[in-house]
Amino acid sequence: MRSSDVLTADVAVVGAGPAGLAAAGEAAAAGLDVVVVDAGARPGGQYWRHGPGAEGPAPGTHGRGTFSTLRAGLGRHGVRLVCGHQVWQAGRHDDGFVLRLRPVHDFPHDDAVERVSARRLIVCTGGYDRQLPVPGWDLPGVMAAGGAQALLKEYGTVPGQRVVVAGTGPFLVAVAAGLAEAGARVVAVCEANAPVRGWLRRPLAALGEPAKAVEAVRYAAALARHRVPYRTRTAVTRVHGDDSVRAVDLTALDHDGRPREATRTTVPADLVALGWGFTPSLDLLLTLGAATRLDGDGSLVVRVDDGQRTTVPGLYAAGETTGIAGATQAVREGLLSGLAVTADLGRAGRTGDGVDAGPSRSRRAARLRSGVRRGRRFAEALHAACPVPAGWTAWLAGDTVVCRCEEVPFAAVCHAVRELGAEDPRTVKMLARPGMGMCQGRVCGFATALITRHLTGHPSTAEALSAFGKRPLAAPVTLAELAASDDRTAPRTAPWS
Amino acid sequence: MSAGTRPPGADLPEHPDHLWREPDPKRSYDVVIVGGGGHGLATAHYLARAHGITNVAVLERGWLAGGNMARNTTIIRSNYLWDESAAVYEFALKLWEGLEAELDYPLLFSQRGVLNLAHSLQDVRDSVRRVEANRLGGIDAEWLDADGVREVCPIVDISPAARYPVLGGTYQPRAGIAKHDHVAWALARSADAAGVDLIQGCEVTGIDVRGGRVTGVRTTRGSIAAGRVALCAAGHTSVLAAMAGFELPLQSHPLQALVSELLEPVHPTVVMSNAVHVYVSQAHKGELVMGAGIDAYTAYTQRGAFHVVERQMAAALELFPVFARAHVLRTWGGIVDVTPDASPIVGRSPVAGLYLNCGWGTGGFKATPGAGAILAHTVAHDEPHPLARPFSLDRFTTGALVDEHGAAAVAH
Repeated sequence: MRSSDVLTADVAVVGAGPAGLAAAGEAAAAGLDVVVVDAGARPGGQYWRHGPGAEGPAPGTHGRGTFSTLRAGLGRHGVRLVCGHQVWQAGRHDDGFVLRLRPVHDFPHDDAVERVSARRLIVCTGGYDRQLPVPGWDLPGVMAAGGAQALLKEYGTVPGQRVVVAGTGPFLVAVAAGLAEAGARVVAVCEANAPVRGWLRRPLAALGEPAKAVEAVRYAAALARHRVPYRTRTAVTRVHGDDSVRAVDLTALDHDGRPREATRTTVPADLVALGWGFTPSLDLLLTLGAATRLDGDGSLVVRVDDGQRTTVPGLYAAGETTGIAGATQAVREGLLSGLAVTADLGRAGRTGDGVDAGPSRSRRAARLRSGVRRGRRFAEALHAACPVPAGWTAWLAGDTVVCRCEEVPFAAVCHAVRELGAEDPRTVKMLARPGMGMCQGRVCGFATALITRHLTGHPSTAEALSAFGKRPLAAPVTLAELAASDDRTAPRTAPWS
Repeated sequence: MSAGTRPPGADLPEHPDHLWREPDPKRSYDVVIVGGGGHGLATAHYLARAHGITNVAVLERGWLAGGNMARNTTIIRSNYLWDESAAVYEFALKLWEGLEAELDYPLLFSQRGVLNLAHSLQDVRDSVRRVEANRLGGIDAEWLDADGVREVCPIVDISPAARYPVLGGTYQPRAGIAKHDHVAWALARSADAAGVDLIQGCEVTGIDVRGGRVTGVRTTRGSIAAGRVALCAAGHTSVLAAMAGFELPLQSHPLQALVSELLEPVHPTVVMSNAVHVYVSQAHKGELVMGAGIDAYTAYTQRGAFHVVERQMAAALELFPVFARAHVLRTWGGIVDVTPDASPIVGRSPVAGLYLNCGWGTGGFKATPGAGAILAHTVAHDEPHPLARPFSLDRFTTGALVDEHGAAAVAH
């Protein structure tokens, strides 16, 4: 291994989204040597995606100014940015951490970095769209709401003409507005809950997040301008099509979230964008042994203190991994983790470089902590207003695929519980194999846990979800890469002649 | 995959419609088996079916077959070097050959053969010696030269310039693999149907000994009296032995394995290499199942050091260049319980009525039915089964060791 393949730093940050950029900038501003690793080609994460051919998020992107400030901070403080690399493993080493990296494409490129070694590690790996199975969801043309948005933001691609956006949460509105603005015909936004009686009626500003209120008003205006029907207490209960999506069934939900069959209508569509909230990416944190809890939206998240410290010494987490709460909160948590790591490493921070001008560090930390608490309250209110409908499993058919990698149908999961006696998601996984394939349960894990809960009546626990989510390999890695990372240098000659 | 062919795994059987009861522990049993892995379940099965002893409990601190039974690479073979161990493993292999019928359950026992590669002249001498010893013992064993290896497994790189040149290998055609969870379920179903109580979530915290004789166990679910107690807890057997007041010469090491994404059938047999500590097979559904070597340090963690995996996958790729782009999805670890001579300990203990079954090292899965039958016999008669006699605990004081470090395939 070449020595240049190994980077050493005071602080390693995984993820260059809102939390990671904030954390890295804050730690570097205090004089710490920081390396940031991100799978994307450029920093910004999933939230600040770069437009086609453009540097930086498109004009009008929410928080674009924040991105520019954070991005500039990285350069000013000499943060080393390793883009295009996935962390496939994290481990402890001496008093610090070692990250194992692979280029995001299967073929190594010239500037590949193999390892990052650091005294402190801040994990800002964000989250990804949470999906619930529905009959036909494995047809081409069905995608995650976040996937549709990513295609739009990053490539300017509108992946369909007649679009149904469905699931729950305000993110659907943002996706629908983006697609409508880009020229797609959004024939319906289906919100499974009734936010008019929930988060829309309760003024967002009253929850202490006025910026969110402004954002919501902007999206609502976009939907109105494009005459996009917004249907509450409605879900996509079946996707029709042979080779790709042709139409969807929209069905109103009763108060238990069960479809009311009599209300079912079939709507032609060629793109279905589904989103049921987000799943935090906890692979690295679970592997390193950080303690977890169940968040209000049912997600497994990592426990942190008021400095974003996990229960593992030296390991910090910021952003969605501590609870899905959005980009604004992620920036606050990132800054807070940067301040905490600085304090923990005994750096007072530089003075007079502009970044630290103004209130003292402790006052800034106090203000950020109060902001984090406010953001948490806001997130809790949103989680409470946008739950996964309790009766959603009623729209599953026996042959609806739950685990797409291993092609495990709903009937097989039912069989594992009802006939074989599985009482928790881990046993379901052993008996029916959901979560054993390429994605290792990243997509189906949440749904499998919910289905198991529904069938057994046992509530999900952090332990059960953690057992499903432990993945020593945070990303699939080829045997060739494993072999190449063996640093023994042996001559390739036969030992005899 | 071309249209019309069935997907990998399409021929896998359905699971049974029920597995086993979830009984509460009774106050007393004739026999208590500690450890609900493959060996504990097989012992219960044979106690009931071969000896008519059914007032039996199997106590498992976790869930049935969740330890090494769920963590091994399912290789079955009997080509060990010494008569004593070859006899035990051949006895087990013969049981394997009738086990699907005996348990009336598909175990996906696939006699696809096992190749043990030789990479050096010393390997060749050792291998040929082992083949001859096996043949004298009535075990199917062949010595294959490099071309013979390629004939059995065309994807092995046998070129002379290879990093680990293949000079040949031993081949046991009757060896193979089985589906580990099916084996556990079938044994559990059989034992349960015979009236054995399989008790999960029940950890033994103490062993009661009175006047040199075992009288019962204390557990997290209360005290249980027992006429006889059989320990089938692999590496943790030494923890249990300490509760009964004696020590065992066992060392426990992490041993790791990994599994790849699903591939088309390309690997027709099982390939092991002692010299580079790698063993590779392709499971029924299409995933490569690969084992690495043991960690040097001792631990009860079911997780090993990753550099061990890297080193051995580097070696595996030298042998199988075709797998370079296969993605590894999952790794895990088990605990290998190793004795000083790399052979098991089976038989009586210093405490009357307390029986030992441990130290199987990397041989545990392949021994499953054999170990169960032998231990059941030993418990039922309070007399070691003839095949178990060489594996008594006192061999470590008499010096009558059965040194299988060579044939255990992964150096311990």
